[in-house]
Amino acid sequence: MISVNGLSKHYRIASREPGLTGAVKGLFSREYTIKRAVDDISFRIEQGEMVGYIGANGAGKSTTIKMLCGILTPSSGEVTVNGLVPYRDRKRNASQIGAVFGQRSQLFWDIAVRESYELLKHIYEIPEREFKETIAMFAEVLQLEPLMGMAARQLSLGQKMRCELAAAFLHNPSIVYLDEPTIGLDVAVKARIREFIKEMNRLRETTVILTTHDMQDIEEICKRILIIDEGKVLYDGSIQSIKDRFGHKRVVHFELEAEGGFAFELPEPLIGLAESAVGEEGRVSLTFSNQAVTAADVISAMMQSYRVRDLTIADPTIESIVQELYERGI
Amino acid sequence: MRKYWEMMKSQIKIDTTYSAWYWAGTVSMLLKMLLVYAFWHAVYENRASVNDMPLHAMITYVVLAMLLNNYVAGVGVQLAGQVRDGSVAIELMRPYNLLDKLVALDLGTKITGTIREGLPLLLIAYLFIGIDAPATWTALPLSIASAAMGVLIGTQLDLVLGVAAFWLHYIWGLHTLRSAFLLFFTGALAPVSMFPDWLRTASGFMPFQSMVYVPAAIYTGQLAGGDALTAILVQAGWLVFIYAAIRFSWKLAIRKVVIFGG
Repeated sequence: MISVNGLSKHYRIASREPGLTGAVKGLFSREYTIKRAVDDISFRIEQGEMVGYIGANGAGKSTTIKMLCGILTPSSGEVTVNGLVPYRDRKRNASQIGAVFGQRSQLFWDIAVRESYELLKHIYEIPEREFKETIAMFAEVLQLEPLMGMAARQLSLGQKMRCELAAAFLHNPSIVYLDEPTIGLDVAVKARIREFIKEMNRLRETTVILTTHDMQDIEEICKRILIIDEGKVLYDGSIQSIKDRFGHKRVVHFELEAEGGFAFELPEPLIGLAESAVGEEGRVSLTFSNQAVTAADVISAMMQSYRVRDLTIADPTIESIVQELYERGI
Repeated sequence: MRKYWEMMKSQIKIDTTYSAWYWAGTVSMLLKMLLVYAFWHAVYENRASVNDMPLHAMITYVVLAMLLNNYVAGVGVQLAGQVRDGSVAIELMRPYNLLDKLVALDLGTKITGTIREGLPLLLIAYLFIGIDAPATWTALPLSIASAAMGVLIGTQLDLVLGVAAFWLHYIWGLHTLRSAFLLFFTGALAPVSMFPDWLRTASGFMPFQSMVYVPAAIYTGQLAGGDALTAILVQAGWLVFIYAAIRFSWKLAIRKVVIFGG
């Protein structure tokens, strides 16, 4: 169980005047500006929850995760993870968490994957029997068997990420932090990784905290999301309720038969209900609220006025919602 | 304890991964020895002794110094690099003491180094160059004990670089300074006993000569009897002091830790 209360982290950043004079001045005296990377956030996460922690780059996600892991000391506020204060009890906290950082490997570069796992077994003091069972299961679910004898440097990105994931879950941690676990992977590997994460959560009630820019990850894995922006919590709640609140906006893209010049006009029944955006070569997008008018009505109104060659209905994605949140606030 | 032992073993595995690189170390070591041998022969061309040391004693000292000089560096630069690029973050998320882990890795590397460079060097030096036997029968165990202490001091002292990176962020200057310092003050170039008086006194107040000069000089008999025992006690003192100082500053560093990047 994770409990965060009024947590803040402020960085002091040395600001330099530009140019050579500034550089020389900087050697003698420096002025600092305070950056509030995380600014008074609070939340609770129960055991077994899978939470998507999202925000733009530099919103304060990593800083929060680092404080939860105990590798960054907060400027103020409280944080406890399973009753431990991470930065005070870093080593004990470390033995109950696992992590995958998409851009940083925790496997040993030069030795076989199997040996990396053997070493992790000793590091986390995993009993031999438990270790064997876990490895056997992971090898099956993530299809690791052919990779076991290879060195990490010989693996492709997808193979490596599967191995990393197994490494993070190896010691049956109660919490796993996943930072961009699917970055740069193909669809099949992504699906396998998501499946694995869900399976682990089901079998072992592992708490999963996922930071990602891939909204598909979030929608498939998490029930709850925390959106953070400029160090503050912008939204904390279920994916469903944010969809209900913001997701009533729908967009239908039309491709119309348009030989010769043509000027698009909104069909009469839709005036005041939908907004249109006209693109090149007869492309038209209509945006409307599905509380005011149904998609079916919009389409039939369009079909009556124009010859429609093709149309697509865009699903409301978390991505578009988040974008709206970033731009407009809540 | 077990985990650090396993880490050391894994480091040995890593070191032996690239076999071409492995034997290249041996070859370069032997070349270096030939060079040193030729150099001191040239120095002794027209005289029987320098500073009361006959040629064979000097050659013995220099070969041993070369051997021991392999152990003065450590994993400080590696730690500093990890601090700089932020990957120390991952290390800190593991349930072990990073300093102990680094020491384990360092000792692993030094064990491989002994097999790859140390032993072949000694063997060839004995067979072909003809270095002296230990000065007395007690000199051998004493010099081995002293060398072990020197290796541990080198390992700990090198961590200073890594820990300093938490404050300095960029330690290239310190690294260069250290290399120059070590080469000179450890006695790797020439025995500390050949320094001018003031420099020898200054050197006595620093831990560097414990790494190369002391064990080599005990072996050749330049330090003997009571002097040798005192020197070993001083080494032990340095080891305890440096160990404690590093752990203390490590605690401070962790407390104020700021992870760069990511």
